[in-house]
Amino acid sequence: MSPLVLFHLAALLLLAFGLYGLTSRRTLIGMLISVELMLNGAGLALVASARLTPASDELGQLGTLLVMGLAAAEATLVLAMVLVAVKRWGTSDSDRLSALRG
Amino acid sequence: MEHLAYGAYGLYLVLILAGGWAAVRCRNLVRALLGLIMTLFGVAGMYFLMAAPFMALMQILIYVGAVSVLIFFAIMLTRAPGGEAGEEGGGPPRPALRTVMTLLSGLLPAAILAAVIWTKTPQALPLKPELPLGRLGQILTGPYVLAFELISVVLLAAMAGAVVLGFERRKGA
Repeated sequence: MSPLVLFHLAALLLLAFGLYGLTSRRTLIGMLISVELMLNGAGLALVASARLTPASDELGQLGTLLVMGLAAAEATLVLAMVLVAVKRWGTSDSDRLSALRG
Repeated sequence: MEHLAYGAYGLYLVLILAGGWAAVRCRNLVRALLGLIMTLFGVAGMYFLMAAPFMALMQILIYVGAVSVLIFFAIMLTRAPGGEAGEEGGGPPRPALRTVMTLLSGLLPAAILAAVIWTKTPQALPLKPELPLGRLGQILTGPYVLAFELISVVLLAAMAGAVVLGFERRKGA
């Protein structure tokens, strides 16, 4: 197996963990943790492709940096949203936050 | 040297596996967060293995340093009244069919992508020489300055949005 395949399989593992967690977790925070796992897998796949194929090395690493920045922004916003949801409904359980009324 | 690299890869893979398992399976969210941090370190090790040390350090700085602390804050601030912080669970147990479906939803896309990777991956080149940090900075402030500025704006907007959402109007004002 070439190193490229190995790194991509590791990234794929992160995607599988993230998808499984996203669908099985009950609380919004647990789902946020799973999303972070998936974003990490994306970054790993990007850097592996940039380092081990003829693709542009700089672009791959810059793309991963931007993904990291977006992940930080996303975590900040999700934290604020979860706080608002907990303040309003008293729970962050996704099963009990299913009502679409304002 | 080759064997050493494969050994390091195996070690990081074990870190990712164990951490990921803890992150998605632990009932206690604090333990899940510790699992996430373990996974992040494993991915950082893989960046080192690919001779991309800047990415590895950024991974540790941004994810382990900032994002994990944010998630920890979120766990501690959303404690159920009377309950332990970060305890997930309660509610009726989910039916078995739903568990199977959940497992499938994670495995199926991964399996399809794995088949694609297995059959279509191009031949890997030998590792390129390490990218100097100055070159990365030149590209970021040269041809891709728009992306650089845009991510700053996104971060600012996210921060402002978080402040607005978390703002509590004073009673009687």
